[in-house]
This record gives sequence, C-alpha cells and structure tokens, in this order.
Amino acid sequence: MRPTPAAQPGANPVAPGAAEPGALEFEAFYRLHVARVYALCLRMIGQPALAEDCTQECFISAWKALGGFRGQSSHSTWLHRIAVNAVLGQRRRGQSDLARAALPLDELAFAVSDGSLQASSQAHTQDLESALARLPRGARDVVVLVGLYGHSHEEAAQLLGIAEGTSKAQLHRGRRLLAQHLGLSQEQA
Amino acid sequence: MNSPRHDSLNAALASLPLEFAPARDLWPGIQQATRGRMRHRWPVAMAASVSLFTLVGTLSWSVWHHTDGEPMAAQPVIVGSGPQRLVSYELPQDSAYQAARGALERTFEERLKLLAPATRERVQQDLAIIRKANADIQGALRADPASPLLLQLMRSTCQQEINLYTTVTHTTDTLLTRRT
Repeated sequence: MRPTPAAQPGANPVAPGAAEPGALEFEAFYRLHVARVYALCLRMIGQPALAEDCTQECFISAWKALGGFRGQSSHSTWLHRIAVNAVLGQRRRGQSDLARAALPLDELAFAVSDGSLQASSQAHTQDLESALARLPRGARDVVVLVGLYGHSHEEAAQLLGIAEGTSKAQLHRGRRLLAQHLGLSQEQA
Repeated sequence: MNSPRHDSLNAALASLPLEFAPARDLWPGIQQATRGRMRHRWPVAMAASVSLFTLVGTLSWSVWHHTDGEPMAAQPVIVGSGPQRLVSYELPQDSAYQAARGALERTFEERLKLLAPATRERVQQDLAIIRKANADIQGALRADPASPLLLQLMRSTCQQEINLYTTVTHTTDTLLTRRT
C-alpha cells in the first residue's frame, strides 16, 4: 500500500510547548491503522461515505478507550473490535440502507488499481470483491471477519453478537454463495 | 481434507488487499472531535514510539522512490567496518538473537555509506528518534514494568528499528548488484 504521509513527518513528537500535546502522536497512530480499519468498515457496510463515518467514529472511540487498552490483543485487533462496533451502531441507527446495486464496486476497484497488482490479478480481485459485496449481510460479515481478516469464530461471534454456531453456519453459507458467484463448480469440489 | 474449491476460495480470499486508503483524509474530523482532550492522555513514551511508524514509513517511501530527485547512491566508498554502536535498549538476551541483530546493525552501518548524503542524514535522524523513543519507553517501563501497552510498544519500536536496517540493506543490495 502506498504510505500515507504524516502531517509533519520528522517533527519531534514530544516537542515541549507543542500546541496540542498528543495530537501529533494520535495522528501518527491514526495514519498507521486507518487503511485497515477503513477497508474493514467498507467491506462490512458497503458504502464509502458510511465507511468513512464509521472509521472516524472508530478512532474517536479508540482515543476515549485508550486508557482501557490492556494489551491482551494487538492494536489492530483492538481497533477491529471498535470498528465493528461502529459499523453495528451505524446499522442500528438505520443510517445504512445497503442496497446491492449501490455497492461501492468502483471504490473497491479504484483501491485495488492503486496497488501494484497485475491487470489479470486486478480483474480477479474485482470479481471477488463484487461477489463478496453481493453476499447477504450476515454471511458477508462473517466471511469478512473470519475468512478475510483471520478472526476465529469465537471472536467473530463476540464481535457480531451472534452465537458461534451461527458464525460457522454463516461462513459456510457465504463460502457456498461466493463459490457460485465465482463460478467454482461443484465438480471442482 | 479441503476440497479444491475450498482451497481455491481460500486462495482467492487471501489475495484480497486488507487495506484501502479512504478517498479523503478523515483526520480533521477526528481531530475536531478530540480537540482539547488530547492533553495528558497520551504517555510520552507511547507518543514517541507511535510516531516512529510514520517516520519509518515515510523514510522507506523516500529511500525507495527518490522523492528528492537526488541520486540515491553516493560516490563509491570502501566498505569497511563502521563504528559500532551499543544497543542501548533492553532486548532479548538470547545470544543467537543478539548475534543476528549485531550483524544486521553492522551491515546497516556499512551500507549507510552508500546512500546519498541527504538520504543518509535523514536515516540517521530517524534512527536517533527511534533510539530516543526506545529510551523513553524504557523509562516509562521502569515506572510501570507490567504495562502491556508499553511492552507492546517496546516490541513495536524494536521492530521498526529492524525494519529501518532492513530497508537500507535491501535498497543498497540493488546498488551493489548493479556495480558488480
């Protein structure tokens, strides 16, 4: 991924007399993690504008919860938990009216083409992103968290507020639908 | 046993990027929401270490892409043993690890001479910040030795130093290959 430049790279992060102590440091923390958090939010909520809102909410909540970080998990896992809560909160507030036709395929394609992938690989990736975006919400959430970001079913169930068995069932369903979308035939199974 | 379809689906999922940069910078909104509440919430040591990620990332970008338009390589120099620096932070005491780290640091010191002066100066500045952060974290750990956050940050900053060594070494590998 292209590195995101800091606002003031090279600035002394603890310079005495800085206008807003902590701001530069938290900005660095934000820039380190924002792309991963945004990608998770975008894949779960499906719309760039809402994903941006969730990402902002995630980092604001992270700031507030910083004192409670106990190190049982990595910063990344800790942020994932907060990000998923932000997405679920967004959905509960009814601000997410996810329509399959409105999925941000162009956005995803743009993000992919920004990398160094070869053209054939890009097309393949876009097909998969498209298939992923078309999954029903419950299946997509689990496929994203477990299949893509490597969470266990136990973690995914906790994050999503569902039973572990439901998580497993949703993953199975999601994988089956993905295979259908991608044209992976039963014979290949 | 997994079926071929299962495997190919796993491989496809594994090929997806895990990071997308948002189309706009979200920081101003976050900054606005947290303004006035930053003070005293972010320990000094943590602050220094977190900033390193950006510093090193920016450095890597600069080294690899020659953003200043200046030739990256300096005039050829005789590669000899550079000045050794003691590793001043607490690291695993395993002798194999220490030996490997020492070797990496020596290679880094030698390869540093191959960089253009401006790039070399920037690497040295960033390394100084990394080491300062390590010292700050050690100081904070003395006061709170069981802090999981500080311990994790300590590991992270050590990793960033290794990454810096590795970036310089790999970058100069290309130069050395061209010359031979």
